[in-house]
Amino acid sequence: MSADSIRSPWFWLTALALALLALFVLYPLLSIVGGSFSGEGPSGWAQLVSTAKYREAVLNTLILASSVTVICTLIGVPLAYVTARYSFRGKALIALLPLITLVIPEVIAAQTWLMMLGNNGLITKFLREFGIRLPSFYGWFGLITSMSFIYYTYVYIGTVAAIGKFDVQLEEAAQSLGTPPGRARLKVMLPVILPAILASALLVFTMTVGNFAISIILSHGMPLLSVATYQAAVSEGTTSITMQSTLASVSVLIVMSVLFLNRWIVSRGRYEIVQGRGARPVPLEGLRGLMVAAPAGLVVAISLLPLVTIALGAFTKARGPVMQWGTWTFENLERVFVTAPGPLLNSLLYAGIATFISIAFSAVVSYLVVKKPNVLTTWVDYISAIPLALSGTVLGVGLLAAFNGGWLPLTGTSAIIVMAYVVRRMPFGMRNAQATLHNIPNSIEEASISLGSPPVRTFFRVVLPIMLPAVASATILTWTTTVAELSASILVYSGGRETLPIQIFRLIDSGLMAYASAYGLVLVAVILIPVILANRLFGIDVFSSK
Amino acid sequence: MSIDISNLTVTYGAENVISGLSLAIPEGSFFTLLGPSGCGKTTLLRTIAGFVKASGGSISFSGRDVTKLPPHRRDIGMVFQDYALFPDKTVFQNVAYGLHARGERGESVARKVGEALERVGLGHLGSRHPAALSGGQRQRVALARAMVIKPQVLLMDEPLSNLDAKLRIQIRETITELQREANITTVFVTHDQEEALSMSNLIGVMNRGAVEQLGTPQEIYARPRTGYVADFVGAANRLPVRLRPAEAPLVEASLGDVAIFATDAMAAPAPEGLLILRPEDLKISAAPQEALQSMPATVRGRQYLGSKTSYRLDLGEALQVVAELHGPGHDGFAPGDRVSLGIDSALARVIAA
Repeated sequence: MSADSIRSPWFWLTALALALLALFVLYPLLSIVGGSFSGEGPSGWAQLVSTAKYREAVLNTLILASSVTVICTLIGVPLAYVTARYSFRGKALIALLPLITLVIPEVIAAQTWLMMLGNNGLITKFLREFGIRLPSFYGWFGLITSMSFIYYTYVYIGTVAAIGKFDVQLEEAAQSLGTPPGRARLKVMLPVILPAILASALLVFTMTVGNFAISIILSHGMPLLSVATYQAAVSEGTTSITMQSTLASVSVLIVMSVLFLNRWIVSRGRYEIVQGRGARPVPLEGLRGLMVAAPAGLVVAISLLPLVTIALGAFTKARGPVMQWGTWTFENLERVFVTAPGPLLNSLLYAGIATFISIAFSAVVSYLVVKKPNVLTTWVDYISAIPLALSGTVLGVGLLAAFNGGWLPLTGTSAIIVMAYVVRRMPFGMRNAQATLHNIPNSIEEASISLGSPPVRTFFRVVLPIMLPAVASATILTWTTTVAELSASILVYSGGRETLPIQIFRLIDSGLMAYASAYGLVLVAVILIPVILANRLFGIDVFSSK
Repeated sequence: MSIDISNLTVTYGAENVISGLSLAIPEGSFFTLLGPSGCGKTTLLRTIAGFVKASGGSISFSGRDVTKLPPHRRDIGMVFQDYALFPDKTVFQNVAYGLHARGERGESVARKVGEALERVGLGHLGSRHPAALSGGQRQRVALARAMVIKPQVLLMDEPLSNLDAKLRIQIRETITELQREANITTVFVTHDQEEALSMSNLIGVMNRGAVEQLGTPQEIYARPRTGYVADFVGAANRLPVRLRPAEAPLVEASLGDVAIFATDAMAAPAPEGLLILRPEDLKISAAPQEALQSMPATVRGRQYLGSKTSYRLDLGEALQVVAELHGPGHDGFAPGDRVSLGIDSALARVIAA
C-alpha cells in the first residue's frame, strides 16, 4: 500500500466502515458459530444429531423450501411470459399488482390466510354450511399455499426482466433457419432466460428457509428450522446459547450453500445479449385473451386477498377471538391510535432512524467501493453482503449473543432494534447505490475537480445530487421493508418497545384477529403511503430499482 | 504558460505505461498528442492534469513544479470525451461551477458565464439541462465551462470523437479560434490524424508510451522519421531496401532487381533502410513518363473512391505497393493491366529500418 492512500480521507472512512461492519456483522456471526460449540454437556451439534425434533425441523424446512420453490416457479414463469409477450384486457393491472404483494408484511399475509381458511375462517365456515370440510390450514397445506402466493412474485419479477432483455431477433433467426415458432421460442429463449429463472428460484428457496412470520403462525407444532431457532432462543435466554446458535448455524450453512450454487449457475450461464430488440407483445382477443387473463387474474387476486381481508377485519366487531362478520365498528382502529399507540410510534421512530442510518451508510460506503477502491474496500464489499445470507432469526440470535452484557451491552435497548433493522436491510441499499454509482462516469467527478473543487466537496456538490433520485427511491424501499421487519426484532425487543409487526404477531398469537387487522391496516398504510406519494409527487418508481 | 515534462515515468501496477518521457510544450501553443489507443497519450494527458500520479520525473508549468499538486489546485481546464456535464445542473450552472469553486459570486459570474456561452453560440440556452442539448451543443458547453475560468493550461481528451463528421469539423474551428484568442497553452489528445494536422501547431506522435516524433504538422506529414509515424500519419508504402551511396541528398535504393534514387532521410549511413512511398505521390501511366524514375508493374486490384481510385500494384517478387490516382480518368486502369509506376526521387524517402 502506498503512503498516498493512507493519507487520503477516503482510506480512513473505509477503515471506519470496515470497523463498523466487523462489529455489527462479523462479530454477531462469529458469536453464533462460537456459541454452537460452547456451553456445558454435549455440544450443540451432537444434540442436533441426536434429537428427533431438530432433525425433523431441518428435513421439514428443506422439503418445504423445495416445494414452495417449485410451485413459485410454476406460477411465476408463465405469468411473466404472458405479461411480457402478450397483451390482453386487464394486463396493466396484472403486471403491476404482484409488486404490491412485495410490500405486504408476511405476518399480515399469514394472518389473513388464517382469517379466510383457518379453523374459524370466513371461507372455512362458509363451506362448512354446505358440508364441505377443508383440510386443516395449519401445517403443510397452509405453509405451502401462503408462502407460494407471496414468493412467486420474485420469480415473476426475475423472469420478466430476463424476457425483457431477450433479443427477439434471435428467435427470428431460429425461425429463418427453419425452426417453427413455438419450438424456436423454447429452444432459443429458454436457455437464455434459464439462469435468471434459476437465480430467482434459489432466492425463493433461501427466503423460505429463513421465513419466520408465516412459519411460526401456521406450523402449529410441526418442527421447522426458523421456529425451532426462535423457540430455542426464547427458552435458553442469553445465558446459555448453545442450541439457538447451532440451529442458526445450520440455517446459515443452508443459505450459504444455496448462494454458492447460485453464483456457480450465474457464472456458467451468462450469455451476453449483444444487442436487443424487445418483442412487441402480441394482442390476444376474445376467448384466447380470456384463457390467459382469467388464470393470471386469479393468481393476482389470491395474492391480494390479504389487503381486502385486513381492511374488512379492521372494521369488524369481535368478541375476543370470535369475529362478528357483518357488524362494523371503529373500536379496533381507536385502539391503534388512541388506547395503545405505542407500537405505531415505536415503529415510526425505529424504522425512521434505521432507514436514515442505512441509506447514509450505503451511499458513503458504496461510493468508496465503486469510486475510491483501496486494499480495504474489497473486504467492505464482501462483509456488507453477508447479511444477505442471514435470516432475521439468525441475525437476532447473533445480535443477542454478541451484545448481551460484555463491553457493549445493547440488549434491552432501542438501539439493538435499530441495529437489527440496519444490518438486515443495508445490503439492499448498498446494491442499489452501487448500481447508481456505476452509471456515473468518473469524468463527471474529474470535471468538477479540474474546475477547482476539492474531492470531498466534489462528492457533495456533484456526485450526491446526481445520486439523489436513486437514493430517494432506495430510502422508500428500505423504509417499506424495515417497518415490516419482524423476525430479528422479535428476538431483540424488550417490553414497551413493541413495533407494529411484533404487536400484530402477539395479537394473532392470542387469537385477537380484529385488533390484529387494525394494526395491520395501519402498517400497510405506513408502508404504502410513502410509495404512492413518492410516485405521485416526485415520479419515483420505487419498484424499478428492485 | 509553458509545460515542461522531464524524465516522466508512470506505472500501473508492475507495468510502465510511460517511462522516462521528456517534452517541452511552448507557451500558447496548440499541442496535439497523436497515437492509436493504448499508446499512453491519454495517460500522459491525465498525468499533466494530476489525475494520474507520476511515479518518477517531474512536470512543471512555466517553471513551477506541479508534480505533487492535486488536480484541483493546478488551475487547468479540461474537456472530456463524454462531455462530463453535470446532468442535474443547467447549462448556466455548469459553466458557473468553476467560478463558484474559485469563490466568485454574483454579478461577475453572470457576466462571465454569459460571455462564455455567447462565445460558443449558446447564449440563449443557459436555462436548459444537458439532457435537452444535442451532442455538439454539449461539447460547446463543456468547452465554455473549461474556458470561462481562464485556466493556465487547457487539456482536451478526444473531445470530438463522439460527434458526427460534419459537426466535428465545425467544432474543430470553434476550438482553434477560442484557443488563439485566449492564447491558452493547450494539450489535445486524439487518434485522428486529420484533427491533429488541421488544428495543431505542434504534434507529438506517440507509440508505446514514448513520443516517437515531435514536429509541426508539415514536418510530421512530409518528413516522417520512422516507419511507424509514416504509416500512422497518412498512409505509406514501407519497403525494406538495400542502400548504396549516391550524390547527396540522394541515395540509391534497390528493391529486388530494380534500383531507384530516393531522398536520404537517415541520421547516419547504413547498408539497409526503409523506403517510404506515399500512395498519392506515385504516378501510374501506360508508358514510362519522362522526368520520373519508372518501374514496370501489374495492376492487381482497385477501389473506386469517387474523387480518386486506389490501385494495388505488383512489382514482382511478392512486392506490392498502393498508389492513388486523382484527376480526370483516374479510374482508367483495370486489374491485369501492365503499367509503368513513376516515382519522384524528391518525394521518395529512405529512413532507418
